[in-house]
Amino acid sequence: MSRVGVQALLTSGRTLKQGRAMELGKLGPEYLKEVSICEMDKVTLESLGLNEGDPVRVETIHGSVVVTSKLDRRSEPGVVFIPCGPFANAITGSDTEGTGMPNYKSIPVQLFAAKGERILGVKELLNRMVEGL
Amino acid sequence: MSKDTILTNGRVYDPMHGIEGEVMDIYMSDGKIVEKVSESAKKIDLKGRLVMAGGVDMHSHIVGSKVGFGRAMCPEDHRKDPVPKTKYTRSGVGYTIPSSYVTGYRYSAMGYTTVIEPALPALKALGSWEEMEDLPNLNSGLLPMFCNSMITFDYIKEGDPSGLAAYIAWTLQSVGGLGVKVVNPGGTYAWAHGVDLRDHEGEIPGWGITPKEVTRGLCQAVESLKLPHMMHFHPNNLGRVGNVETTIAQLDSIRDIKGHGGRDHICHLTHMSFETLSSVEGGGNDWGDLESGGLKFAEYFNKNKHFTADMGQITFGPATTMTGDGPFEFYLYQLTGGKWTNIAVDVELPGGAGIVPYTYSPKAAGNSVQWAIPLEFALNVDDVWRCIISTDHPNAGPFTKYPLVFSWLMSKKQRDTWMEGMHKFAHERSTLPSIEHEWSLYDVVISTRAAPAKILGMEKLKGHLGVGADADVSVYDVDTTKVDFAKNPEKIIKTFSESYLTFLGGKQVSKKGKVKGVPNEGVWSVHPELNESLWERINKELEQKMNEWYSHSFHNYPVPARYRAHLEKKVMIDSTSVSA
Amino acid sequence: MTEGTHSNIVCVFCGCLCDDLQLEVQNNIITTNENGCAISKAKFLNHADDRLEGPAIRVNGTSKEVTLKEAIAKAVDIIANSKRLLVYGLSSTENDAHREAYKIAEEAGGVVDNTSSVCHGPTILGTQESGEAVAALGEVRHRSDLVIYWGSNPQFAHPRHMTLHTRAAGEFIKNPKTERKIWVVDIRKTISAGVADKFIRIEPGTDLEVISALRAIVRGKELDVDNVGGLPVSDLKEIAEVMKGAKYGVLFFGLGLTQSKGRHRNIDAAIRLIQDLNHYTKWSMMPMRGHYNVAGANKTSTWQTGYPFAVDYARGYPRYQPGEFTAVDMLMRGEADVLLNIAADPAAHFPRKALQHMGNISIINLDPKQNMTSLIAEVNVPTAIAGIECDGAAVRMDGLPLYLKQVVDPPENVLPDRDILRMIYDGLRRAKK
Repeated sequence: MSRVGVQALLTSGRTLKQGRAMELGKLGPEYLKEVSICEMDKVTLESLGLNEGDPVRVETIHGSVVVTSKLDRRSEPGVVFIPCGPFANAITGSDTEGTGMPNYKSIPVQLFAAKGERILGVKELLNRMVEGL
Repeated sequence: MSKDTILTNGRVYDPMHGIEGEVMDIYMSDGKIVEKVSESAKKIDLKGRLVMAGGVDMHSHIVGSKVGFGRAMCPEDHRKDPVPKTKYTRSGVGYTIPSSYVTGYRYSAMGYTTVIEPALPALKALGSWEEMEDLPNLNSGLLPMFCNSMITFDYIKEGDPSGLAAYIAWTLQSVGGLGVKVVNPGGTYAWAHGVDLRDHEGEIPGWGITPKEVTRGLCQAVESLKLPHMMHFHPNNLGRVGNVETTIAQLDSIRDIKGHGGRDHICHLTHMSFETLSSVEGGGNDWGDLESGGLKFAEYFNKNKHFTADMGQITFGPATTMTGDGPFEFYLYQLTGGKWTNIAVDVELPGGAGIVPYTYSPKAAGNSVQWAIPLEFALNVDDVWRCIISTDHPNAGPFTKYPLVFSWLMSKKQRDTWMEGMHKFAHERSTLPSIEHEWSLYDVVISTRAAPAKILGMEKLKGHLGVGADADVSVYDVDTTKVDFAKNPEKIIKTFSESYLTFLGGKQVSKKGKVKGVPNEGVWSVHPELNESLWERINKELEQKMNEWYSHSFHNYPVPARYRAHLEKKVMIDSTSVSA
Repeated sequence: MTEGTHSNIVCVFCGCLCDDLQLEVQNNIITTNENGCAISKAKFLNHADDRLEGPAIRVNGTSKEVTLKEAIAKAVDIIANSKRLLVYGLSSTENDAHREAYKIAEEAGGVVDNTSSVCHGPTILGTQESGEAVAALGEVRHRSDLVIYWGSNPQFAHPRHMTLHTRAAGEFIKNPKTERKIWVVDIRKTISAGVADKFIRIEPGTDLEVISALRAIVRGKELDVDNVGGLPVSDLKEIAEVMKGAKYGVLFFGLGLTQSKGRHRNIDAAIRLIQDLNHYTKWSMMPMRGHYNVAGANKTSTWQTGYPFAVDYARGYPRYQPGEFTAVDMLMRGEADVLLNIAADPAAHFPRKALQHMGNISIINLDPKQNMTSLIAEVNVPTAIAGIECDGAAVRMDGLPLYLKQVVDPPENVLPDRDILRMIYDGLRRAKK
């Protein structure tokens, strides 16, 4: 397992596909596919030694999660994106600084190549989070 | 169903029937005042206490999108006044913009039974009807605004009074409105174009018409439709020093319009305190030049009888200003530098309604004159039937301070006491210190019950205690033969802050300030029926205009029956004489 | 009655509340959705699928189907024995359901919060500081010559927003392509940025600085730095000039502004900037509300309680405090011991620590569809989809209320949220006697 990684800021938000998939069913395969990805730029992808579609581990001080890497041709190094949903939340902190709003945008992350690692299903991920794993 | 009830030994004030302090019995059955009831009726011996019809407040901002926004943006306002739930009432918050339940309960506790929301953006009416569901213990009504609507401008520009009247009728039917509200005609619209239009003969940008034409057009339309309530008017140039002149000019400009059925009054001028600011001799428009225009306006009022007016009395202390006069609110924001909200509305109020929290201080030069103006006015009018007590709640003060307003009108001693701590302008820039006149209790009853009911066109059922009226009755814990209100103004406040008993449609809903929450008693609306060909025309034209201009469908504009059928008290109006 | 064509139907996905959907219904199934965007089509055409199984009660990890009566009784029992009830959600159901929810919270002395606490709650906090000059969608189309999307990706989250409102011609802007400019400000080049006239990229977490710098420049101040948020001051000066020179500018802003560093301070700064610009020309702003009725939840909460979200009834009257009575905080602190979740999916959208606590408490979940929260809820009650299977009212992002019609019948024995909640409330009243 490689411990050479790339630092970035993680942001999350909606995508059209995630919205559509949500309406098709939160427990279905389309939803899983659309929320278990991390979009990044070409340079970051290459630095990690990954091909698009390879698993990538995204780590914050709150936890880590393995998702599928995706190339975003428009993006530049420094910012990566996971669509809003359980995978992004697995590594998001709950401190709202008294506002009610957690920090969902610009979370400092470390990315690591995770070839061969498995992407959890939605139910599995949920169980792990609920159990504090 | 209310129990048959007899109120015995009450000292009744019923100006519509000329009753002034007569001890008599009031019979209530099935929600109405009746001639007599069965012997098994519940009897309540009032022991000489004061009895009058339930209060009718014809201008108070209690529901709607800007009221909601005002509440949401000022949590600090509510924190000071939490209202716990009781066995019979829901919880909420009070202060200057009470939550929906508390609004109903507090009015009820004060002896009010009818309160009209004076400014509705018609396309948002569904929201107001939803809120009405949660406005307990009151009769109510909604006044949609028409004077900054592109559709109004279109009809006026085309010289099409029938079209304009039909648009009004269609809207009143679709959203369940009670009358026509006019707020800064053309001025709020102009502000969407960055123009602060305050001259009623100036041009409304892009339309080639003037505010004066809009006001006249709407006034004529109201009369041609034979609507019971006349045009409810917030004029151009509000809140500016010297505007008593411009207000008079605007009232002059509609003086020739004939009231339907020969009626005298074709306009109700609202919150006159904000539009009768005068300037000292040789002065300009600075706040330092401010002088009360109250007396001047009273003189105009006494000579020109084509309109009625409500006071908009400043009560001092915190208030929340909220009006469809967006540019005025922006001006106020510039004076205060505090919070400011503006809410644009599709087509009907493009410039937007504004909200600015504001505190009136007796130590402030301007505010002290603003306080004096409506009092100077009211104490100089020759016909109290045309002069209504109001605070334009919550603009000039919260409705819970009405008893304080009564005390200023009824007691010179009270006015003097208050003026002691006030900025010297109250003395120097108004004639109030020298006014000896005091309103009688009878005057107050006229101004808060009989007259507003008449002006709203609701005098058949509201504002009086004659047989056939709705059994909306308030009893106050005072023997008027044993008290001199003028010499004891604290008694005025004590008496009227809380009714001894309030009846709503014959149901006892409040006793000594303890309220029993009951559902909204009814939302009054008018249904002006047009002749068939005009109705067909207007539906076609509005569908076309709405599809072009609005951002939602003509078909989704009307408020569905599901939200109104159980609440609406529809008054049918025969407007078929308006030609197609 | 439900068969055939239904026109002018209000979409119940996002805050655009488009009301021009045309649906075909056959055998109580919606077969076509004309005019709806891709997400709208997915929602309407799949309404019958993937329904929440139930009513059901979970015992020792296994979910067992029960009658509605049993489910309600269990829910009542859980709430009646709770110390600190948290009612949450509301943004994907209609207004009457909200009103029932507040009754329950008031009766139980609990907290009621809605999804705006993790969405545009900071916007509300900003307006509580400064007010807000709010735009109206129709007026944007008629008058705006400059539109800015800040921290918002409408092409993904509000797919028809640009087509219907900002790229459409209006009464005074006949040719939007030449007469209106659309800018996007974001930390990454989104798909919306790709179709805008100008994309302004700022560094993550610098919104507050950039907006404050713009405010200063608009007011004629000189900055003593070279660049702010990755933008050279010369660029900022140009931006300020163009904004001041617009005739009718509109700022649409999204979670990029509310959720990033600074949160409500970002919004407050934006509000003040727009207010300042009104001294020179006409500017207004509008939050891009995510869920179709989150604006309605704020509205119903406000008229009934005085406060727009995060309302606590522990003292028998409404109290308001974001950070104290907001859902994520109440869960993270372990303060809520029961969660009544209505038409939302906190298990999918709340951060990990909050979610962990959810695993330890009783959850009563009302939703039409299977969702992540239903996987850990103790009581699941399927409900009718508002705007498809039951009627109601909702509020658009600019405050316009719209009536949601019922288009098809709900599945057998499935009731609207408001009815279920009323049953729970009635049960709670009886339990307290």
